[in-house]
Amino acid sequence: MNNTLLKKITANFYFLFFAVCLVSQTSVQAQEIDMLIKGGHVIDPKNKIDGIMDVAIKDGKIFRVASNIPANTSKKTVNASGLYVSPGFIDMHVHVFAGAEDPGYAGFGISNGFGSVAPDDFTFRSGVTTVVDAGSSGWRNFPAFKKQTIDNSQTRVLAFISIAGHGMVGTVHAQDTTDMNPVTTAFIMKEYPDIIVGIKAHHYQGHDFTPVDRALAAGRKTNKPIIVDFGSSTPKLSIEELFMKHFRPGDIFTHTFSGNSATNLTPGGREPIVDANNKVKPFIFEAQKQGRIFDVGHGGGAFVWSTAINSFKQGFYPNTISTDLYRNSRNAGMKDMANVMSKFLNMGMSIQDVILRSTWNPANVIQHTDLGHLSVGAEADVAVFNIRDGKFGFMDARGSVLNGTKKLEAELTLRAGKVAWDLNGISGPQWDAVNR
Amino acid sequence: MRIKTAGISELILHQFVRIVRGIAAVLVLILILSTVHAQEIDILLKGGHVIDPKNNIDSKMDVAIVGDKIFRVAKDIPANSSKKTVDISGLYVTPGLIDMHTHVFHGTDPNSMTANSYGGLQADAFSFRAGVTTVVDAGSSGWRNFPLFKAQSIDRAQTRVLAFLNVVGHGMLSRFDQQDVTDMNPEMNAYMIKRLYPNLIVGIKSAHFWGDFTSVDKAVESGKLANVPVIVDFGEHTPTNSIESLFMEHFRPGDIFTHTFSEINGGRESIVDEKSRKVKPFVFAAQKRGIIFDLGHGAGAFNFNQAIPAIKQGFLPNTISTDLYNLSMNAAMKDMSNVMSKFLAMGVSLGDVILRTTWKPAQVIKRPDLGHLSVGTEADIAVFNLKKGNFGYMDVRRTKISGTEKLEAELTIRAGRVVWDLNGISMPEWQMPATTN
Repeated sequence: MNNTLLKKITANFYFLFFAVCLVSQTSVQAQEIDMLIKGGHVIDPKNKIDGIMDVAIKDGKIFRVASNIPANTSKKTVNASGLYVSPGFIDMHVHVFAGAEDPGYAGFGISNGFGSVAPDDFTFRSGVTTVVDAGSSGWRNFPAFKKQTIDNSQTRVLAFISIAGHGMVGTVHAQDTTDMNPVTTAFIMKEYPDIIVGIKAHHYQGHDFTPVDRALAAGRKTNKPIIVDFGSSTPKLSIEELFMKHFRPGDIFTHTFSGNSATNLTPGGREPIVDANNKVKPFIFEAQKQGRIFDVGHGGGAFVWSTAINSFKQGFYPNTISTDLYRNSRNAGMKDMANVMSKFLNMGMSIQDVILRSTWNPANVIQHTDLGHLSVGAEADVAVFNIRDGKFGFMDARGSVLNGTKKLEAELTLRAGKVAWDLNGISGPQWDAVNR
Repeated sequence: MRIKTAGISELILHQFVRIVRGIAAVLVLILILSTVHAQEIDILLKGGHVIDPKNNIDSKMDVAIVGDKIFRVAKDIPANSSKKTVDISGLYVTPGLIDMHTHVFHGTDPNSMTANSYGGLQADAFSFRAGVTTVVDAGSSGWRNFPLFKAQSIDRAQTRVLAFLNVVGHGMLSRFDQQDVTDMNPEMNAYMIKRLYPNLIVGIKSAHFWGDFTSVDKAVESGKLANVPVIVDFGEHTPTNSIESLFMEHFRPGDIFTHTFSEINGGRESIVDEKSRKVKPFVFAAQKRGIIFDLGHGAGAFNFNQAIPAIKQGFLPNTISTDLYNLSMNAAMKDMSNVMSKFLAMGVSLGDVILRTTWKPAQVIKRPDLGHLSVGTEADIAVFNLKKGNFGYMDVRRTKISGTEKLEAELTIRAGRVVWDLNGISMPEWQMPATTN
C-alpha cells in the first residue's frame, strides 16, 4: 500500500467521521424538543401574545414560543390549527378536600368530607391545571389535606386556609370564634409557603367582622391575601364597610354575582353588588379601582344572570373567573370551569379577557407569578381548546337559562409537559399506524 | 234582593237561575276535574326519538313521568296534560344507562387499590353527565368492608350504586390481598347477598389472581350458593391461564368475562388471535353457551387491534362498560358516553350500543326492573344529543380512530328528578327582575 493511498483513505475516513458527527449532531438537534404544539392561536395575556404561534416543550418546561418552529426539531408534533392554546387555567375557588368524615352537625362536610370532590375528576377535562382550594381545611387539618389530596393529585393543588381551625366542617363550626387563631394559622402558612396562598373567612352569622379581621391578622403576618365568603348575618352586614374599612388591596370578595336586591329581599344574607334598580353600587367600582379583587365563585347558589348581565352592561367585570366546584355545584348550573368560562363568552366578554381572568389574573392574585403564562422556562401547564359554534344554553344557580352560541371545549391539557387530557386523540397516531 | 210579590214570571226567573246555577256548578266541576287531569303528569319529554330495546321502541315518542315513575310512553301526549314540558325534538331518549363495571368506593386509605381509596371515584362525579343512572361497582369491596362501602358511597350517592362483591373478604385492598385464598369464603359471600343485601349485591368478582383457577372457582361456588353471576378479571396469570377452560369448564352460563378487548403482553389471553387477527372459535361458542362478554374499557383493557377485527367478524361484547377508576378517567376511556361513541365510530349501530348499556346489563345483573322505560318503572332516563363532526377516539395504547358522531348527555333524570341538564333545556330563560321604582 503506497503512502498516497493511505493518505487518501485517512482523509476519507476523517471526512466520514466529520460527516457522521455532523449528522448525529443535527439528529440531536432534531430531537431537542419533546413536544411541539403547532399552528394554534396562542393567547398568553401576561406575555401579550395573541396570534398563531407554535409552542415547544422540553423536559416539562416551556422551551420556546414562536412562529414556525420546524416540526422536525421535535420528537412529537401536535397539530393545533383551528384551536386555541393558552396557559393551563387556574381555578382559584374549589373544594377538593374529599374524604369520608361526617360533620355530625348540620353542615356542608367540605372539610375531609363528602361535600368536596377529587380535583383530577374535573380539572384536566376542562383545561384546568391548577386549583386553589378555598378554605376547606384549617390549620388543624391542613397536613391531612396535604397528605390526602395535594400529594395524591396530578392537578397542582394550592390552598387558601380557613381561619377556622377545623376548616369548612359545617355551619355550626363556622360560628366558633374561639377556633379562629391568626397566630397558629400564620404559623402553618409559613410551614407551607408555596402551597398556602391566603386565608379564607366564611359562613359567619354573627353581626360583626370577627372572622374577617382574624383572617386579616393572619394575612398581615404572612403578607398573603384573604378571600371572603361574606354575608351569612341577619340583618345584612355592609359590603362597603368590608371593602373600604377592612380589606387591603389584594383581598378577595368571592361570590360576586349573587342575587340582586330585587330578587333577594330577605333581611339576611349577602349584600348584592347591584341595587334594587339593577345598578351596580358606585362603591363597587371604587373598591375595584383600589385593588379589591372580585372573584366569581359560581358555586351552587352564587351566580345569578340578572346580577351578572346588569354588571356587564354597566362595565363591571370580575377580576377572576372561578367555579366554586363542590358536590352541589358540579351537576347543577356550574358544571365545570369550561362551562363557567363559556358563560362569560356568551355575555359578550372576549376570549382574551376570559383567558386573562382564568390565567394571569388569578396567578397574580394568589401571588404565584410563576403560573398562568407560557414564558420560556415556566412549567409546561398548557390548555388547548376549541370554541364550538352552535346553540347552547347556560343555567345560573337558580336554573334560569341564558342562550348562547359559543362553548369552550378542552381538547388537550398538559400538566408539566405531560398529556393529562386528550379529548379527540390529537396527540396520538392512527390505530393501525403503529406496530404494537 | 227580596221579592215582594212573586209573579209567575219571577217564579220562572227563579227556576231559570237555579238551572243556570246547576249548569255552572257542573261546568266548574268539569273544569276542576280537567285541571286535575291537566296536571296529572309532572314532566313530559316531548318530541324525542325513543330507543327502548326491551320494549322494542325505536321511534318518535313522548315520555311522561309522574312522581318518580314512568307514567306513559306514547305518540303525541298533549303538553297541557303536564306541569312541565321539555322540548327534546332532535334528541334521543333512552333508559338511564347502566355502567356495569366501575370503581366507586372512594375513600382515603393510601395503601389501597380501589377499596376505600383514591383509586375509587365518587359515582356522581361521572354518572349523570354521561347519561348513566346506575353503576355497578366491580368488586372494590369484599364482605368485610362492604358495610363501609355502603355507608360511605352507596348511601351517599344520588346515582343508583349496586355492587359485585369481591370474592376476597377485604376487596381490592392490595394486589397481595387478592392472592389470599384463605380470605375467599363462599359461605360469607353468599350470606351477605342472601341474608343482608339482596337488593344491592348483584354478583361476585374474581380479579388479579396470580395462581390457578382457585379464585374463579371460589367465586363460582359463592355464586351458586347465592344464585348470582360472577365477573372475572383474568388478567394477571403468568403464564396465561386458558380462557377456553375458563369459559367452557369453570363458568356457568350467565357468568361474565370482563376486559373483553384487552391485548396485553402476557397476563390475559386475548379473544382475538394476535397473529391471524381472527376471533378464536371457542369465543363464539362460549357466547352462544351464555357466557357474557363485558367491555370493561379501563386504563389498560381496550385495544383497537382486538375490537376492530372482532366487530368486523361479527363479535360484539354483550355489555359495554367503562371500568371507571382514577387511571381510566382522564385517559382513553373518559366516560360512558365516550366509550359508547367509540363503538359508533367502529360501525356499531346506535340501537345496538343502547341495548348493551341498558337492557342487556340489567338482565346480566338480574335486575329486570332496570334498563327500560316500561310504565311503572322508576323514571331513570337519559336524553342524548348525537353530535355530528370530526371526532377522535383513543385506545389504551393512545392510538386513535376517527368518527363522525359523538353522544353527548343533554338531560339525565334519576327517579323522576332532573340531575343533569347540559344546556338548561328543562328550565326557563332568565328574566330581568322588576325594579322597585
